[in-house]
Amino acid sequence: MTKPELVFDPFSDEYFNYPYDIYLRMQDEAPVYYNEAHDFYALTRHADVAAALKDHETYSSSRGCDLATVQADDGPQAQVIIFMDPPDHRVIRSLVNKAFTPRAIQAQRDTVEKLIDHYLGLVDPDNFDVVQDFSGPFPVEVITRMAGVPEDYRQRVREWIDISLAREPGNMGFTEAGMQASIESGTYYYQLAQERRANPQDDMISRLITAEILGEDGQVRTLDDVEVAGFTALLGGAGAETVTKLLGNAIVTFAKNPDQWQKLLDDRSKVPAAVEEMLRFDGPVHYNVRFTLKEAHLHGTTIPAGKPVFLMKAAANRDPRAFTDAHLFDIDRDRTEAQNLGFGYGIHSCLGAALARLETTIALERLLDFMPRFEVQWDRLARVQMQNVAGYHRVPVQVLPR
Amino acid sequence: MSKKIEVDFDICEANGVCMGIIPEVFELDDEDYLHVLTHEVTPENETPIREAVRQCPRQAIAVAE
Repeated sequence: MTKPELVFDPFSDEYFNYPYDIYLRMQDEAPVYYNEAHDFYALTRHADVAAALKDHETYSSSRGCDLATVQADDGPQAQVIIFMDPPDHRVIRSLVNKAFTPRAIQAQRDTVEKLIDHYLGLVDPDNFDVVQDFSGPFPVEVITRMAGVPEDYRQRVREWIDISLAREPGNMGFTEAGMQASIESGTYYYQLAQERRANPQDDMISRLITAEILGEDGQVRTLDDVEVAGFTALLGGAGAETVTKLLGNAIVTFAKNPDQWQKLLDDRSKVPAAVEEMLRFDGPVHYNVRFTLKEAHLHGTTIPAGKPVFLMKAAANRDPRAFTDAHLFDIDRDRTEAQNLGFGYGIHSCLGAALARLETTIALERLLDFMPRFEVQWDRLARVQMQNVAGYHRVPVQVLPR
Repeated sequence: MSKKIEVDFDICEANGVCMGIIPEVFELDDEDYLHVLTHEVTPENETPIREAVRQCPRQAIAVAE
């Protein structure tokens, strides 16, 4: 029997439903995968993805980091940090990175605990959707509060993100609703920037407004309201729907691996290790796209300059060449075998990693208290269909008696 | 020729992964400044230092040969 042709279509139902079998075939059969229909490449082996993430001189972010943007004739329409290479990237990242170090992020602990307790307090144990009732609502509150979005608009931000990331099978760009949400969100943040310029507060958006950077001409300048709005919107998005998905994925994964959940019930000190293993085993960000500024040579193949390349972190994190029993979920695994690429690697590695770890750790601890025994209602589980992130829209669970 | 640790402090974001691997060499202070306590790479410390280089999420550490 011959195998079916290997097709990686990042906007297909088959891929959305279960990407990991496709990744294994790509690693074995086509480590430098080329999709002729859409004219892009994809790297899936751990060593290749890690090396490419480090090599920003070959694999550039300057044309965008999703396929539709990279392939657009006029390139990215916004100047945001994820679409930058050095030296611009370094300048912009330095405006915010001190607020996100593991030490600095401890200042958010109280906020995170209060929000988690608030949302878990509202939950009906007989009818609990982990994503809709819990992991969706709370992370967006934390990051938008840091950013300076007024309380009334914080859940709105989540709706905008959800709608704008949604993809219809077979279509790599925005949906019509997504375009509309993106415009609304952009307008909202622009108005917020103008408001904060007039009335500064103790928040990130106000600090971005007053920050001085060295421009290309060597002159000191400040960010304009479009730049401030774009950056704040990006922080809101990156800091919200990622933890949402990580926690939804975690509950599904633990339901399939009850022995691992029991380990946590027996020993809470393993929660941080469990968070790391979740980021490896089923992290929310599956890939980012880069654009080759020069030829790349690997596995006897040449990727020409000027091509989109998918760097498949989620595939790399399950590469059997890098991890023993890569497809097993094991919170006790040896984490020194290979780098966990769940937060990326190199200059674009996740700015909010420490915040994500804090939120996910506290959330898992509280869920262990709230539902030491639970069942996922498998027939009502629903996946998202989105660009670059994977996870569930709904994870309904039944909390069982202890 | 001796091997030396080099840190790009503009890239470092005080994640502290290096300190977790080999605190005798890398120390993060209370204000998120990274201090390299010894720059010399010796046969005794080379393995953990190379692991710190590899595991640094920012790729801010290098060993100059």
